[in-house]
Amino acid sequence: MLRYAIGRLLLVIPTIFGMVVLAFFMLRALPGDPATAILGEFATPQALERLRSSLRLDEPLLSQFYHYVTGMMTGDWGRSALTRKPAMAEVMSVVMPSMALAFASIFVAIVIGIPVGVLSAVKQGTGIDYLLVALTIIGISFPVFWLGLITIVVFAHTIPLFPAVGAGAPGSLLSQTHALVLPAIVLGSGGAAYIARLTRSSMLEVMNQDYILVARAMGISESRILFVYAMRSALPAILSVIGVTFAVSIGNAILVEVVFARPGLGSLIIKATFSRDYQLLQAGLLMLAVSVVLVNFVIDLLYPIIDPRLRR
Amino acid sequence: MTVSLDNGPVVAMPAWKRWMRSPYARHTGFLVGAGITVLFVFVALIGPFIAPYDPLATDLQNVLQPPGGEHLLGTDRYGRDIASRLLWGAQASLFVALAVGSLSLLFGVILGTLAGFVGGWTDRIMLAVINILLAFPGFLLALAFVAIRGSTLTNVILAVTLAYTPRVAIVMRAVVLNIRPRQFIEASFAVGVSTPTMIWKHVLPNCLPPVIVVATVSAAFAILAEAGLSFLGLGVQPPAPTWGNVITDGRPFLISDPWISISAGACIAVVVTGLNLLGDGVRDTLDPFLRNQTGARALK
Repeated sequence: MLRYAIGRLLLVIPTIFGMVVLAFFMLRALPGDPATAILGEFATPQALERLRSSLRLDEPLLSQFYHYVTGMMTGDWGRSALTRKPAMAEVMSVVMPSMALAFASIFVAIVIGIPVGVLSAVKQGTGIDYLLVALTIIGISFPVFWLGLITIVVFAHTIPLFPAVGAGAPGSLLSQTHALVLPAIVLGSGGAAYIARLTRSSMLEVMNQDYILVARAMGISESRILFVYAMRSALPAILSVIGVTFAVSIGNAILVEVVFARPGLGSLIIKATFSRDYQLLQAGLLMLAVSVVLVNFVIDLLYPIIDPRLRR
Repeated sequence: MTVSLDNGPVVAMPAWKRWMRSPYARHTGFLVGAGITVLFVFVALIGPFIAPYDPLATDLQNVLQPPGGEHLLGTDRYGRDIASRLLWGAQASLFVALAVGSLSLLFGVILGTLAGFVGGWTDRIMLAVINILLAFPGFLLALAFVAIRGSTLTNVILAVTLAYTPRVAIVMRAVVLNIRPRQFIEASFAVGVSTPTMIWKHVLPNCLPPVIVVATVSAAFAILAEAGLSFLGLGVQPPAPTWGNVITDGRPFLISDPWISISAGACIAVVVTGLNLLGDGVRDTLDPFLRNQTGARALK
């Protein structure tokens, strides 16, 4: 188990390093001069020169890369061009609402997705199954921001149950949770559809196994077969799709944050993009990418816990 | 006693009859998906000719007209005809979907074949790079690309292609690894078939179907991503008539005039559902062992 965990951790490090490298070259691949891009076309040559030397743009690429990587490692993620604050601090200040949204949406996706998938598998070939299969395929095909706009109209305007925008009053957990409901459901709906589809197919696969037949022959109750014996075999596959769902949600969260005007990494990234604040943009993107890698690492650690065959 | 092996004269079945007997003809989802996709392509091709108005023509006398009457789906805040904008928008969406689908298919197949066929260190390095790209959420990668390189149609297409090529490549690699040890490949090596010929004639035809499924999914994702980027103001710039732009145009009037955003979003939802149904249908009728490989990874 420990060896497995260390092995997984050793895979996380090169992945994150690869992302850092990718982010570096993506930003350096900018057409033209980054300094001009940041300061605009009418900047004075002196200002451009100063910015270039502060961003180390006048040094050779390899030296830039060295300083960039060592900076990343020691927590120096550059400074926001707009606020002059360290980019890492800016990112960290909005990380909480973003993570709350991401985890709430995963919670919604699991709580809806798994029961729907199991029900669909149990009722295979019936009207309920067809309805659920149709709903799940529609669920993965909706533009998430459009669903957000519609829920705002319906559940914040026509029936004013939830606030349309914002993340709730600071300091008030109740108000924050209240404001989280709609965005979490909107963001979680796509994930619920993915999870339901995969739960259905892996449950169907498991239910055809001989050991389920034996369990039935032994007269074990159907619900026990389903939730104790079948579920246990289907869980690793479901767990892997939860990891994928988290990654999709992180991407879609940007859209949901903008729709609901929530503070968070997505809103920060969009703001940074429009103000050409590339240091901040880079920090925000890396933070999201790293969170995906870390969550997948945690999921990797869960596999041997739910699947004894992996404990060697 | 002799056993007759003669089943009567062999008559070639007409193509349509053969098709009627194929599993596709009995797959409701596939039929619905194929129907929607064909309709979408048709509308996108003839859209500009049947559009009743110029999609860019403003008419400030008739802003925010409700659906019905002179304007079938009403007008937006500049008096532009929504129906015409949606018809033109279908073309943009089709172009994005086709471009991303075929480009990610092309690059993914080349990279996947290379990794799977050459093996060794080439494979290991390519797999590492692919895994890093896969760890990035697709939409995030697309957004980063467009944010840095600028919002043009070409960049949107390149961005989504960049996000989806690794997904095609990883499936292609898996299928190639599966095909490579088969006897017919060994046999063609034995009779001296050159490697390019073998890849072209024996490997590709056997690998393409599952990879095409992923490309279909990437085309569907491309339509969603284009709309999402337009919504953020990073897609094809307004006033170009794209479905994403129409949703964004309608956003300030959601409460008073919701039809603008709703009609455009419905177009996207229907077309993407169609493409996903099509992909699912093809996957369901293929070898079931491929189901998990294309499923979990490719849908990301």
